[in-house]
Amino acid sequence: MGNIIETHDLWKVYRMDGVAVEALRGVNLTVEAGAFIALVGPSGSGKSTLLHLLGAMDTPTRGEVRLNGRSLTGMSDAERTRLCCHEVGFVFQTFNLLPTLSALENVEIALRLAGVSRRERHTRAAELLERVGLGGRMGHLPRQLSGGERQRVAVARALANQPALLLADEPTGNLDSATGQAIVGLFRQLNAEGQTIVLVTHNPEVAAQAGRVLRMRDGRIQP
Amino acid sequence: MMFDIAFKNLGARKTRSILCVLVVMVSVYLNGSTATMNNWMYETMTGELARYMGKIYVQQGGSSYPPFDSTIAQATAEEILARTDLGLNREESTPLVFVRTERAMMPFMPARAMVIGVPVGKENALLGSVEAATGVNRFPETAGDVAILGEEAADYYQATVGQEVTINGQKVQVIGVLQPSSMESVNRAAVVPLPVAQRLFRKEGMVSAVLLTASDVNRVTEVATALKQDYPLLQVTTQEDMLAEARKVLRFPLFYMSMMSLTGFIVAVAVIMSTMVMAITERTREIGTLRAIGASRRLVLGMILAEILMLSLLGGIPGTLLSVPMAAVMKTALPTPVQLTRIVLFAAVAGILGGLYPAWRATQVDPLEALRYE
Repeated sequence: MGNIIETHDLWKVYRMDGVAVEALRGVNLTVEAGAFIALVGPSGSGKSTLLHLLGAMDTPTRGEVRLNGRSLTGMSDAERTRLCCHEVGFVFQTFNLLPTLSALENVEIALRLAGVSRRERHTRAAELLERVGLGGRMGHLPRQLSGGERQRVAVARALANQPALLLADEPTGNLDSATGQAIVGLFRQLNAEGQTIVLVTHNPEVAAQAGRVLRMRDGRIQP
Repeated sequence: MMFDIAFKNLGARKTRSILCVLVVMVSVYLNGSTATMNNWMYETMTGELARYMGKIYVQQGGSSYPPFDSTIAQATAEEILARTDLGLNREESTPLVFVRTERAMMPFMPARAMVIGVPVGKENALLGSVEAATGVNRFPETAGDVAILGEEAADYYQATVGQEVTINGQKVQVIGVLQPSSMESVNRAAVVPLPVAQRLFRKEGMVSAVLLTASDVNRVTEVATALKQDYPLLQVTTQEDMLAEARKVLRFPLFYMSMMSLTGFIVAVAVIMSTMVMAITERTREIGTLRAIGASRRLVLGMILAEILMLSLLGGIPGTLLSVPMAAVMKTALPTPVQLTRIVLFAAVAGILGGLYPAWRATQVDPLEALRYE
């Protein structure tokens, strides 16, 4: 299998109150298609920053990210939007579901943004919720769901458009350990089906279940 | 545009949305009703004056119309009417007495009730083609203390033909009630024979004005100029002068009404803007999430504008409909579909103006900033 992600000498420097903060210092990373990678490291090590750059949600100060061989550098807003919609799925620590929409509608919205027809998106969203074990909770609003259930909806939403890459930022950070374990189990299952996953975590137990663990410190991946 | 999501977002913040809708509704109602009032004032004035095309009013003292404050010696009035050099249509020229019996409810409005004295046989000069609804619209040749009531005057006196009404403490018999006229002064008047009016209000030997009609409508200016030269103490007013005066008098109330309408508009814009700015600030993370999962800036803009449009129309349509009963109360023409559409558009424009800044702010939400937002 080929590489889905390649980064070359990736730098990210923030300016905070006039002081330059180097969040990433020349990261070189290769992720093969079908891999399950956990990025671990202490707070401020740059792991979330790296994840955001991989998902085109942020732009590097220097260096390059290539997704499926295509450089993300210099992308227009419209291209970035298309990429977020079709090629990358994102799972957030705080779930980030739209509070006024049901579980089904939260999944459907990703399909809607991709221009999928009403009937098809309904069918596909329902299938995805079944797959993450929420077949019986489709009409519930996020506030009527438990934390684990909300995260499952978020995973279903991230998978809606069959993205090449699934990115997850501390997906178990707001969950108790049993629920967190179940979510990691879901990731493992998805990976077994061929889904490429890059996950950021503080939790060594979660990291241990990934195929490859990358440790970050001071903006660099440790050897 | 995602109207269903926009609708749910409004529903999620019910109290705020309802308050915003109410403000828009009141503002639109204010706009609709002030437009109706403006139309009414203008229609009343121009309707009244249209009747005086080709006519000249001669009065002395006072600038009001009808000329309640004017007094001319009856001898002078007769002298003018007797002139043969002016080319007057005698049938349509007459001295008149105007007395206000009850003031208007508001400034700049016509008097609520009045008495007009017209010589027997000259009613046509005042009433023209206004028909009687009941009884007669002309005095009998041997008229005593009789009155012909305008449509609103009949309501005011609560009187019908054959009954007596009390004017300035004296009883007068009603011999006719007129159909509605385009002249508001006729609608509100008790029309009595000239000598009766003079006696009732102690104006013997005096009249309020002389209404002159030129035989040749093209000679009106010429006649007016001649009269001004011969009677420098009198005010000689043509229909055009009256229209110009009416416009001058109406300028302030029309401006005042327009200012009220503008204030309503500004309030609506400000409320929509603050409501939406609050909503956008609260939903920064939500909007950021949408951007992160593939929503374009245009889509976010559309979604926010859809919310704003809904707020405007939810308030605008009932506000517009409320202005219809107002038109009925003012007895002015009901708003036409074009006018109604204009009022609804007023709401939509207020919404768009109030919504542009918050919508623009929403499009500037960076997905990354939003994810960090707590």
